[in-house]
Amino acid sequence: MTTITDTGPAPTPIPAETRSDHRGSWIPTWGMVTTRLMELRRRRGMMIALIAVNIGIPVVFLGVRLITHAVDPKSYGPAGGYTIFTTLVAGFMYVFGFVVAAVVGCTAGSVDLTEGMFRHLVITGRSRLALYFARIPAGLAIVIAMVAVGYTIVCVVCVFAAPTQLNYDGVNVPQGLSRPALDTWAASHADEVICDFNYNGGPGLNGPPPNVPCGGGQSSGPPPGTVIQTKRGTITVPASESPAQIRAFAVSVANQDYTDYHSNFLVPSTSLMVDVGLWIALEATIGFIVGLGLASLMGQRTVPVVLLIVLELILTPIFSRHIISHLLNVQRGIVGVAMAHIEPGGLPTPFSGGGSGGGPGVNPLIPESTLTSSLVIVGWIVVWTAIGAWRMKTRDA
Amino acid sequence: MSTATLADSPAVTGGDTQWAVETHGLTKRFGENVAVNDVELLVPRGCAFGYLGPNGAGKTTLIRVLLGLTHADSGTMSLLGHAVPRHRDLALARVGAIVDEPRFHGHLTGRQNLQILAAAREPAAKGRIEPALERVGILHRANDKVSKYSMGMRQRLGVAACLLGDPQLLILDEPMNGLDPAGMLDMRDMILSLVAEGRTVVLSSHLLDEVERTCDAVAIVDRGSVIRQGPISQLLAGSSFEVQIECSDPDRAGHLLDATAFGAHLSVGPDGLAISLPAGTERDAIAEINRLLVEGGISVYRLQHIQASLESWFLEVTKRLGDPE
Repeated sequence: MTTITDTGPAPTPIPAETRSDHRGSWIPTWGMVTTRLMELRRRRGMMIALIAVNIGIPVVFLGVRLITHAVDPKSYGPAGGYTIFTTLVAGFMYVFGFVVAAVVGCTAGSVDLTEGMFRHLVITGRSRLALYFARIPAGLAIVIAMVAVGYTIVCVVCVFAAPTQLNYDGVNVPQGLSRPALDTWAASHADEVICDFNYNGGPGLNGPPPNVPCGGGQSSGPPPGTVIQTKRGTITVPASESPAQIRAFAVSVANQDYTDYHSNFLVPSTSLMVDVGLWIALEATIGFIVGLGLASLMGQRTVPVVLLIVLELILTPIFSRHIISHLLNVQRGIVGVAMAHIEPGGLPTPFSGGGSGGGPGVNPLIPESTLTSSLVIVGWIVVWTAIGAWRMKTRDA
Repeated sequence: MSTATLADSPAVTGGDTQWAVETHGLTKRFGENVAVNDVELLVPRGCAFGYLGPNGAGKTTLIRVLLGLTHADSGTMSLLGHAVPRHRDLALARVGAIVDEPRFHGHLTGRQNLQILAAAREPAAKGRIEPALERVGILHRANDKVSKYSMGMRQRLGVAACLLGDPQLLILDEPMNGLDPAGMLDMRDMILSLVAEGRTVVLSSHLLDEVERTCDAVAIVDRGSVIRQGPISQLLAGSSFEVQIECSDPDRAGHLLDATAFGAHLSVGPDGLAISLPAGTERDAIAEINRLLVEGGISVYRLQHIQASLESWFLEVTKRLGDPE
């Protein structure tokens, strides 16, 4: 039997304050969120990467375009406009916004462990789940703020520095024309339409294009007298074509290109900007949440960052457009594929170069319903949050 | 002074027990290795309690189990009367601890690190940041990044972090590591002042001299098990002691005592004769030695009873346990 002498005075009872501070609750306090925010935003390297990708690179890109256009407007197009907006958002901010958000998530999910702070925090008696959940609003406050600032700058420049005329296939065309109006315009600008618009046969376009001057000593069709082999036999290019024939050909070309022309705008619409803003914010949120959960699971930062870069830059582009019959459902479960399916209309899918259906030579997205896409996205957020929280709760500190 | 035994320890249900730490049959295994083996530990409130053991004895593992940093495989435990892990939040509300080397976010200042920890505690903890920094003596460096702190300063910051919760119980794992002599003195004074305020300090250390100067009671742990525990004075009273004799002819005195039962524990050195007497030897033995020498015609100038130090007792106990049966 062990005998010990009690050498101390009677203990003071634990103050009532302690009993009411909900220390065992999984809900983090406001103070925990704000101090976690402070901890993250003072990481210089991470913040530089975050600012550079979300704000710096778009600002430099648009700034250079603004300057070059101001210096030599004939050689350099306007800084803003619909095309610049879609290219910048879908081609850069969406993809790399995910990557840097994942870096922030991986940082938030691992640094307490790697820097020895996790142990101090556990000893406070605070719920481990609350410690985990405090990271989510803190990290998202940084990530979404940066995305919002960068995206706002892009929107402002693209709206206020937009071209005054729509440049379609290198030709200045009035924006927003109806089909008859475009036909009328094409008839009056037949040479430009025939020389510069893309067309690929079809009604009214069976023969060779009329021979019209395109500038620089070039012409639109083969020289008069050239014999051309077609499916119906041989055709000899006439010495000259009547203006009516030329106008008819131009109208046919314009008709063929109308759908494509109609999806081009001088400036992105307000609804499109709102939709796209929410879309890239969601993408950044997913990057952060997945990074947070994966880093919490693995207890380190580097490997999760590499894995998420591979997912976003290599696996997603491949799996989104190449059907592997046995893995189709797995492909549908990739969050990048689901995000591509819910992207706002009129935006080129990242790495595809031409809308969600894909441009010429690009495979269409693998089939997936909007409901499935939504469930996949929600699933990724919920599952990775749960995995990270579970690991946080069970990990030895 | 009250006395308690394991048998009459109260049920662990509330915060009014007399024990700051109480464990029964606590066991923690890592595969085949039993790091904490059926530990029965009672730490009374309001004292400095040393937790001693050789490297790898399981000191830090026990602390980690107590603090909920890792789970126990079996047994029960309580901190400040609150069962852990069931009432872990209540138990740890008034506990501060340093486990292993204190590490913090290097890119933040000392004050900012404490702000993060205070935010995880009750609202009043924020107001304790400045006093805690002042108490550990790093207020003037509070705005420097922790990456620029020395090991000793990080130790002090670790203690400051402990103080944020106005703790009734502090568990300090090797707090003297990295401290210079002045820092060790400061740390010792601080521990004593914390105890004087009615707090309990559990000090895990291999610096036996520091523990002896600082603590009222100790537990010795070896191979995961607590092998001795109790107040230092009581534990040492039950250990062997030494009698040093300064006399006119040490060599002849040696020969004289050699013929008696004391001869087996005799050594002659430059300071005279030294006789090690086993635990339980009566004080009358000293008078008997004196009588033998005087009757033998040897002048005795000094006869000093030297109690074993904690260090020698610790080595004696752990060596004895390490000996084959």
